[in-house]
Amino acid sequence: MLTRLAGGRVIDPANNRDAVGDIYLRDGRIVAAPQGGEADETYDVSGMIVMAGAIDIHSHIAGSNENMGRLLLPEQRYADAPAHPGHSPQPRGAWSSDETGCLYAAMGFTTVVEPAVLPHHALQTHLELADIPIIDKATLTVLGNDDFLLDLLRRRESTEALREYVAWALTTSRGLGIKVINAGGAEAFKQNVRSFSLDDEVPHYGVSSRAIVKALQRAVQDLALPHPLHVHCNNLGLAGNVETAIATIAAAEGLPLHLAHLQFYSYGKEGKRSFSSAAARLAEAVNAAKSVTVDVGQVMFGPTVTISCDVLRQFNARAHARPRKWVIFDGDANGAGIVPYEYRSKDFYNAVQWAAGLELFLLTNDPWRVFFTTDHPNGAPFTSYPDILALLMSRELRAEWIAMMPKEAIEVTTLPAITREYTLPEVATMTRAAPARLFGLKDRGHLGIGALADVAVYAPDRDSAKMFRAAALVFKNGELVVRDGAVLRKTIGRALTASPPGERAIERRMRDYYEGRYGLSPDFLAVPPGAIGQPDPFELVPCRS
Amino acid sequence: MQDAVAEAAKLLGASRMPVIAGLGTDVAGARAAISLAQKLRGAIDHMHSAALLRDLDVMREGGMMITTPNEARLRADLLLLVGPGLNEAWADLDTRLLARRDDRAPRRIVWLCPGHAGDAARAQAAMSIIGDSPADLPTMLAELRARCAGRPVTAQDAQALNALAIELRQARFGVAVWSADALDQLTLDMLCGLVRDLNASTRFSGLPLAPADNAAGVQQVSGWMTGFPLRTGFCRGYAEHDPWRFDAVRLVESGEADCAVWISGYRATSPSWSRDVPLILLAPAPSNPPRVAEVTFAVGRPGIEHDSVAYLPTTGTLAVLNARASADVISVAAAIERIAAALPTEPPC
Repeated sequence: MLTRLAGGRVIDPANNRDAVGDIYLRDGRIVAAPQGGEADETYDVSGMIVMAGAIDIHSHIAGSNENMGRLLLPEQRYADAPAHPGHSPQPRGAWSSDETGCLYAAMGFTTVVEPAVLPHHALQTHLELADIPIIDKATLTVLGNDDFLLDLLRRRESTEALREYVAWALTTSRGLGIKVINAGGAEAFKQNVRSFSLDDEVPHYGVSSRAIVKALQRAVQDLALPHPLHVHCNNLGLAGNVETAIATIAAAEGLPLHLAHLQFYSYGKEGKRSFSSAAARLAEAVNAAKSVTVDVGQVMFGPTVTISCDVLRQFNARAHARPRKWVIFDGDANGAGIVPYEYRSKDFYNAVQWAAGLELFLLTNDPWRVFFTTDHPNGAPFTSYPDILALLMSRELRAEWIAMMPKEAIEVTTLPAITREYTLPEVATMTRAAPARLFGLKDRGHLGIGALADVAVYAPDRDSAKMFRAAALVFKNGELVVRDGAVLRKTIGRALTASPPGERAIERRMRDYYEGRYGLSPDFLAVPPGAIGQPDPFELVPCRS
Repeated sequence: MQDAVAEAAKLLGASRMPVIAGLGTDVAGARAAISLAQKLRGAIDHMHSAALLRDLDVMREGGMMITTPNEARLRADLLLLVGPGLNEAWADLDTRLLARRDDRAPRRIVWLCPGHAGDAARAQAAMSIIGDSPADLPTMLAELRARCAGRPVTAQDAQALNALAIELRQARFGVAVWSADALDQLTLDMLCGLVRDLNASTRFSGLPLAPADNAAGVQQVSGWMTGFPLRTGFCRGYAEHDPWRFDAVRLVESGEADCAVWISGYRATSPSWSRDVPLILLAPAPSNPPRVAEVTFAVGRPGIEHDSVAYLPTTGTLAVLNARASADVISVAAAIERIAAALPTEPPC
């Protein structure tokens, strides 16, 4: 069946297109305009904006840690939504897998990356992902606090052994990329270390955090994985941690490296409270380091829950839990901390965080290298995206918000002086074209011939937030799944994976290692397609050539 | 089979408030059962919800520090076993956790108030036992926590507790092990508070042992499918969690539930309610249900007669368990999916 989206403003930065025109969909793909003949169905989208389906590169939507967040906060779901007879309250957080897929699709998102999968818990993550309807998913496998890796580095084993191990871990856990979270910090915390920075060594192993990051960056590069190493730096959330972020950017040494939720590392020590935004300085460093990509991790106000495998940081944040309860999980390698939190616009620190995120968005100059995230749910739930886009697109709106913030907070930022407004093509780059490129997804994030028919159509509105909150139409694999923000049908998505080709001599060694260390066969790590409960649950993304 | 499916669908279709209980099943069975409850606007409960909720209530009221069986085994230099029921909760406790390993640094094991479990444990040289009757546990934990906080106590076992408090504070990575089946909530709360306190200066964590019948696995599935743990209902068309309201026994005894599905896929068990309610039973064959069920499905045991995904106590994760003795039997998931497909199409009011 040939479907025609007629007369919309097609914004497709990957193909340098921003013009009124038609888009044709057939068999789940974008196809060329037919030579004569009619489309079987036509949607008149004149006056509307047509973009590829959006891609979220960093959103914690599944896995045992996220599920722990649900179990910890049953009161969060219907927090201020009293149930009226005949009315279903809309959950405000702690969404189920089903709700997660529907809420994303309603905003025009069609692919989402879950960025923190502990290899020993990979099966649960993939079971949850399979229950998230409509959207496709991908995961990042977390390494860098695992005994096997730290031991390889301690023994100064060959880069080949390291490469093989990374390939094995990625393939076994069905990830698309590799992430490192406070490299060495979780292991150090188990040994009662309470602060851990880039050049600190993990006790017992004698390996620095920097050495772990560098080794993983090299392995990911050598394996030609679709996505560069994804780094959660040390010292998240601390005053003065901009130095850590800048040191980590320098440590990229001209090779690809992605730094996650940079807003949480954009703090200086200026001002009366020794806490200030250093986002302007950090943005300059990002602008200068062309091999580095970043996502922002914007903060928005309201109750949320912070869920992070940076167990050391989460332990240190426990005193700030709102409400006062938290879970600290010492896992087999990385663990996790689940700490509820409420960002308040009247709070000095929270207002600085909010402003610093926007500064990063607005002062970095390349929408191909700066990605749109809230580190859901850590900075804010993903449902706040439309409001953030509106803030990026309007300096007037920003001025209104700034006027409501504590003055002393705004004074330690540069936000009021920034006049830049994001354009729709820049938004399309940041949320579509650039994420596809960052993850090597050649048939996503654009509307060229042959691309996957993931399409979002928006009705322009003076209120950009309203426009992005409820897409007029969303097509997933060519099928209409959302109309006016309401889900019409729940299709089944897949998880994108990568697996470097070739024999892996390390299999035998891993078996011996697991039997020796754990007294267990590594079979408990397996994520076989047949166990997922959906037909054909995985899609292999080729490594870079 | 055909008849059983039709009869079950008829009962459930006519029911105004069905409860799907027991839930002794694997991930696929839990997914199917929860979907069915959502479709029928019924409620879900597990046969071990009481124990699950005891751990959960402590966690969601005050928080918790927890670790994995692997970390407890590999890293702990002090294991604090708390109360009875540990061997019952984890059959491999002795071999996986307590057995002496020559290749590791020396490790202390202290068991507080083990009850009868202590009889065998006493023979082990590396094990200290403090207290006996589980009834003494609440007081003992309170005194221990006070001692660890530097406060004086006048306990019967003051000397032993003093020494233990010092040991706990000197442990480099201690792990407390318990089964919520055997502890009340206040005791658990005290224990988790003690673990939190100890982390002011050293590292200490907890290892809650999960109840049987894949209770922890089913709780995970409920979490991601509904946003809530078990004892959740869908009566108003959306998920609501209420440990009192959606207690299956209460729902049946009060007459609120007018039809029950009892799922006990790992072993034949029966519900503990006494009121007669139309019952659809899913349990392994041969089973001799002491209670007359309107419809009975003889299902295969997960991980034994059919492949399955379930919570693995040894790793504390969901994992694949392949059939040891594949048999031509229907799984809980398959039986429920067939029932769901046979339901009348109009939605219940």
